[in-house]
Amino acid sequence: MQTKPALIHYCELIENTRVTAQWHCLRLRAPKLAVASPGQFVHLRVGSHTDPLLRRPISIHHADESSGEIRLLVRPAGAGTEFLVRSKPGTVFDVMGPLGNGFPHLNENRRTLLVGGGIGMAPLYFLAGQRRQADLPFELLIGAASAAELPPHDYFCRCGFLPLVATEDGSRGVKGTAIDLLEQRLRTGGEAVRLYACGPPAMLSRVVDLGRSYGLPTHISLEAHLACAVGACLGCSFPFKKNGQIEYRRVCRDGPVFAGEEVYFET
Amino acid sequence: MKPDPRLALNLAGIAMTAPLIAASGCYGYGFDYAAWIDPADWGAVVVKGTTLHPRVGNPPPRIVETPSGMLNAIGLQNPGVYYFLEHIEPRLGELGCPVIVNIAGESPDEYRQVAGLLDSTAGVAGLEINISCPNVRCGGISFGCDPLVVEDLVSRVREAYHGTLMVKLSLEAGSITAVAEAAQRAGADVLSLINTIKGMVIDVERRRPVLGNTTGGLSGPALRPVAVRAVWEVASAVSIPVVGMGGITCAADALQFILAGATAVAVGTANFVNPLAAREIRTGLQRYLDLNGVAHYSELIGAAL
Repeated sequence: MQTKPALIHYCELIENTRVTAQWHCLRLRAPKLAVASPGQFVHLRVGSHTDPLLRRPISIHHADESSGEIRLLVRPAGAGTEFLVRSKPGTVFDVMGPLGNGFPHLNENRRTLLVGGGIGMAPLYFLAGQRRQADLPFELLIGAASAAELPPHDYFCRCGFLPLVATEDGSRGVKGTAIDLLEQRLRTGGEAVRLYACGPPAMLSRVVDLGRSYGLPTHISLEAHLACAVGACLGCSFPFKKNGQIEYRRVCRDGPVFAGEEVYFET
Repeated sequence: MKPDPRLALNLAGIAMTAPLIAASGCYGYGFDYAAWIDPADWGAVVVKGTTLHPRVGNPPPRIVETPSGMLNAIGLQNPGVYYFLEHIEPRLGELGCPVIVNIAGESPDEYRQVAGLLDSTAGVAGLEINISCPNVRCGGISFGCDPLVVEDLVSRVREAYHGTLMVKLSLEAGSITAVAEAAQRAGADVLSLINTIKGMVIDVERRRPVLGNTTGGLSGPALRPVAVRAVWEVASAVSIPVVGMGGITCAADALQFILAGATAVAVGTANFVNPLAAREIRTGLQRYLDLNGVAHYSELIGAAL
């Protein structure tokens, strides 16, 4: 019988660093997951008991095949993510992955704008790092409520690129939202060919609108609560509009990255 | 996995290598996990609820976690029986284990039609009649509460279908044993229980139900003691085999259902948490047989009664 690749990987937490007032960056030894591409995610068990019961999907923030490590950016928002950010180095996590489709057109040598809202910056940072390594043009735009909700300047310096930042209170970067920043960059800086985005649905919906008005394809990463994460349970389905009809697609298996113009954002 | 003869069984005509079944709705059509996990780790797989016409399903959110459990309100999203027959049924042989199709409908006649279309199809070993789905407006649980309605519906399906017929019961019936007896009278070969129990979670910040469908079906370990009790009651009341399910996560949980009278068990929600559940439960059952000097697991069926 042919052997199948493992779905579950046991990964040691090497380092758990606090990067903002709330977010933590978890560095895992995970050679089998380090082959992941930007936009893919992992699905982690959060403890060995039945409460919390379900795994938590976390998008991959960075993966490095040569070191066999991945990094996850985690914002505590409930019992599962609290468990992750409290975990001490040496903890071994039960991790499913890499899962999901990831961002397309990774090697296109044209001006590309990456838009991250809050913790949604995690997969775009991975994409930006990959483009930087391949010497491909990109601009990483990040929006947050305030400076305290963003990783410090040197967090990005270490990777050799700096994002353009917008904060709603103006405490860092330009005053406004990620969308304000995107509008500004679309008006200036030459012709862009593609938009990538991850963030809250309201932001994604605006990115798609802007893409439409500038005639640019958008690739947006959706977030959903997942149960199985492999497409079996249909618990994460999100509405799409096809030929005027609503149909549901699975965020976990058909996504999490979708062509923005196909997603049906309910108003 | 090497089959262990101590776990083999024939479930009313379906030969299985172990009394372990992937529960409907939790394993898709069996292919989603197949890239990584051998579906034949199960004794049989029950595939997604199938209806006469395609169903788009309920609006999101469709799931929410609860203490040691979850609610789901998928709403029987499926491509319909014709699509199933054309595109899915021909591939079911690849799974390497018997496949049971869960069927549902908006009227007794729809159930009968779906069953008729699936009769004598090579890839389908049996049907599970879903008269206990809490998440659809028409059909589902509304057919599962009244013994007379159940007897009528199961009789009609029985006329149309000649393979193994399993009926999935809900605890929301006034008397689950009365419904079980009705299904048996109507010609059911096997009973499976319990389906999820209708529940609700409210987002106190938004002051709205979390689920798009308002309510959903509770599954997971939170349900288990209630399910064990139901299996015990039903297995005592009928003479046909019972498939027990509700919050099984490990061999010890499965054994509770078997000791309560289940001939086989089904595992649903645990797959989401541990996709290796089938393999681990199988190994755990073998270890239990070893440690207790049991020659065949069937010696344990109903042993706690």
